[in-house]
Amino acid sequence: MSSHASNVDPKTAELWDKSHYQHDVISTRTFGYFMYLLSDGMLFATLFAAYGVLSYQHSYFGGPTPADFVKPWYTFAQTMALFLSVLAYGLGMNALKHKNKSGVINGLLAALVLGVLFLALDIHDMTHLASLGISVATSGGVSAFIVLTQVHATHVFFGLIWILVMMAQVLTKGFTTEVVGRLLTLRMFWHLQAIIWVFVYVFVYLWGYMS
Amino acid sequence: MLVDLAGGWNPMWGRLAWSQIPYDNPILAPLFVAVVVGAILVLGLITYYGKWTYLWKEWLTTVDHKKLGVMYILIGLVMLFRGFIDGLMIRTQQAWAVGAHSSGVFGATHGYLTPFHFGQIYSAHGVIMILLAATPLLVGFMNIIVPIQIGARDMAYPYLNALGLWLTAAAGALIMISLFVGDFAHNGWFGYAPIFELQYSPGVGVDYWIWTMELVALGTTLGGINILATIIKMRAPGMTWGRLPIFVWATLSANVIALTSFPALQVALALIAADRYLGAHFFTAGLGGNLMLYTNLFWIWGHPEVYFVILPAFGMMSEIFPTFSEKPLFGYITMVLASMAIAGVSWLVWLHHFFTMGAGPYVNSAFSVATMLVGIPTGVKVFNWAFTMYRGRLTFNTAMLWAIGALFLLLIGGLTGMMLAVPAINYMVHNSVFVVAHFHTMLLVIVYAIFASVIYWFPKVFGFKLDEFWAKTMFWLFSAGTVLVFVPMYMLGFMGMTRRLDYVFNTVWHPYLLVMEFGIAVYMLSVLAFVALLYVSIRDHAKNQVGADAWGTSRSLEWLTHSPVPFYNFAVLPHISARDEVAWRRDNGIDHVQPDHYEDIHMPNNTGVAIILGGLTFVLGFALVWRIWWLCALSLLAIVALVIYRSFKGDPGYIITAAEVEKMEKEALRREAQISK
Amino acid sequence: MSHDQDDPTLHPEVQMSTSQGYFSGFAISSILMLAATFLVTSHAVPPFGLLMVISACAGMAIIAQIYFLLHIDVSEHNIWNTVALVLFIPLFLITIGLTWWMFSQLYLHTMIMPGMTH
Repeated sequence: MSSHASNVDPKTAELWDKSHYQHDVISTRTFGYFMYLLSDGMLFATLFAAYGVLSYQHSYFGGPTPADFVKPWYTFAQTMALFLSVLAYGLGMNALKHKNKSGVINGLLAALVLGVLFLALDIHDMTHLASLGISVATSGGVSAFIVLTQVHATHVFFGLIWILVMMAQVLTKGFTTEVVGRLLTLRMFWHLQAIIWVFVYVFVYLWGYMS
Repeated sequence: MLVDLAGGWNPMWGRLAWSQIPYDNPILAPLFVAVVVGAILVLGLITYYGKWTYLWKEWLTTVDHKKLGVMYILIGLVMLFRGFIDGLMIRTQQAWAVGAHSSGVFGATHGYLTPFHFGQIYSAHGVIMILLAATPLLVGFMNIIVPIQIGARDMAYPYLNALGLWLTAAAGALIMISLFVGDFAHNGWFGYAPIFELQYSPGVGVDYWIWTMELVALGTTLGGINILATIIKMRAPGMTWGRLPIFVWATLSANVIALTSFPALQVALALIAADRYLGAHFFTAGLGGNLMLYTNLFWIWGHPEVYFVILPAFGMMSEIFPTFSEKPLFGYITMVLASMAIAGVSWLVWLHHFFTMGAGPYVNSAFSVATMLVGIPTGVKVFNWAFTMYRGRLTFNTAMLWAIGALFLLLIGGLTGMMLAVPAINYMVHNSVFVVAHFHTMLLVIVYAIFASVIYWFPKVFGFKLDEFWAKTMFWLFSAGTVLVFVPMYMLGFMGMTRRLDYVFNTVWHPYLLVMEFGIAVYMLSVLAFVALLYVSIRDHAKNQVGADAWGTSRSLEWLTHSPVPFYNFAVLPHISARDEVAWRRDNGIDHVQPDHYEDIHMPNNTGVAIILGGLTFVLGFALVWRIWWLCALSLLAIVALVIYRSFKGDPGYIITAAEVEKMEKEALRREAQISK
Repeated sequence: MSHDQDDPTLHPEVQMSTSQGYFSGFAISSILMLAATFLVTSHAVPPFGLLMVISACAGMAIIAQIYFLLHIDVSEHNIWNTVALVLFIPLFLITIGLTWWMFSQLYLHTMIMPGMTH
């Protein structure tokens, strides 16, 4: 029966599963979540494409450009806050490997505090812009700058809520399959924020400051 | 921070006011009455027969992929009808409002629709047909068929699956309510900058358009993730990549497109929202905005989306041709490669929607060549289907007729597409009805494939076949309508008629427009034939019962389990040994071998969270449209709270014991034995 | 389901965490960002060269983070994540690159602006 592309002998073939075949719940969850993160990456790619088109000289319509309001060392402090937060989360996950509940909680707590610091610096930066009279309504170029950076900040905000939820779940439920799966997906989410931030920092803040 | 609105606004009701209800509109007011009466009737009947508990327990809270798929298809069919009525109205206006002497009623100078109303209708027609008819219909079939074809008990994430459905339903509800509260966008289904800016479209129509599309995009992205994870992680033992049914491959390639491209749509629309709500300058004329940036971002999604809807249709055809030719599919490997190639190339062609932007010869030639490349894998598919039928033992039942019809339409639509890929021709016919005729031909390929699948897979889901006489009647009426509407449309395109005319100045075109009007009346008859088809088939269902292999010549794994499929799909997961597993078992005489013993099955519980989240999302969308900020905040908060609640609660699932499985299986086998007598 | 009975913390995706990896990822990307910031603020390099250098910094930082933080490699438990990422990267480049190309061509053909024609 070559037309069926099978070289299994039908007389001896195994027709029904006898191996108690089961799916790996955690891997299925993390893989699906990773695909969501990649589609989130595409969201940022599209925003970067828009930023690319709207960062020509004429896009600022003679108004302020990032060169006028970006402070590289201030934003570098933000970068360090986010990178340290990611590191703290990573160390928390290392504690999970050893079933160390307090280690996990401490890692998440440190990630939370540093994440809040990142967000506070960002909000302070935005209020500083507002005090200069710069908003999304200033020009197309500034619209692209603010929306791109604040979409990232929004991701961080929801990540912080999630970290809080996970701290509560680790404390109340312990390391069940569901909680461990969520800690792994949150790890990917949180680490992706650092990766996106590298792009935002270098190509929006630093490049904007240069031009 | 927020923009100043020209019209009225108050903190309690936002922009909502009694004057926004079009009770004086002679078309909408009677329709509204009819909808209200119909809704009361339906709700009354459910109450009278005491079906609320059944509805809630079996359908609204279900996480069963087959029931969710059926509901997707129901939404798709309802929206297909709504979109068809929009089409009927467009055709009637264009057949009526021809020449300076044509009469006008209902406040229109010519015809019966004012230009603003006409603009809303063609915009709604496009959005509905692509995003709320074609997409849910295809997603519905993927939902039902893919898990069974790969030998899984359910999707990878059953709860997410339900959420995707209810987000789509919320989007459908939002676009429907725009009929009676406020208005809809008049900027075409894909929108033009800067007409959708607040300055030029001060009403709520554009906002309805934005949030409807955002909700569908979200639902489809979630659905895409689910289907991809299901295909990659949930295959039954022995189901290697080389043995995967071809519809699964088509679904895989289509959902790769969905996953990667829908974020671009979400961004394009969110940036319009930023312009309209926050006063940003992404797409404004002046102040550094860029009009063409919108068109670019939209089509980054828009073109891959076209292949997102056509690839599953190709997959359906690839299942139907072999079954009714009694031959394996010709060129399985090339078919898979062609699907993947189409998915890949779909990302390199989007500029052909706006060749006339004027990006210059280098850009236009590059995208022109890339567009023509699509013809190669598509041609491979067409030849593979032809060779599948060649020297086969053909059965011309209605599913096969629809599939062959799709093949013919693909040829016409594909060749006109090749013409449009040439920038020189494209400049001549840009925005003419020639383009409209081309993409309608392509979308009709999808419609034909969907109706083929309705007939082909109906017995698998419900356990009985559809009536052949009415199915054939519907097919021939529908095909006659297609010829009568779209052949004159191609001709008018060559004669220079542009799209979206609410008034046709050239009386020479009138005869063609009248033929098209006649054609749409024939389409209406085919809709009636479809209703008759459902009525007659359900009435006579006892006569048309089928066993597991409904067609007797089926090939892929879904035909191994009972019809209708039990909620656990397979009592014992099958072990796969061949590409066309069912055909292989049948040819070797082992297709009736049942498992020798049963085991406990672990299934997910139903959940009401998904439908409540859908409802809250609808409220959020409505509040955003009308700028009722307190309601936005409240519904968003409720959504986040509910998601967190669900994550704390979790779902342990439940166990069906081996004894129960055995009992249900015995019953199903007894029923099948009766049918075969 | 197979891990319901087992201990979920023994899952390979939990076990692949190492403090050493996280510290390496953190250190490499921090140093690269520090270097980029320093170069940009010191104006030591001409603009075009500077753009190349900071792009290279960003690229290396991303690779380090993807490897050390997201654990993208070809081991059995990460292969599908790697496949998905490898399929996505060309699309990111296409989205940004082709958009940039078509608009630079468009501006070249439709707008006369000082400083546009390098």
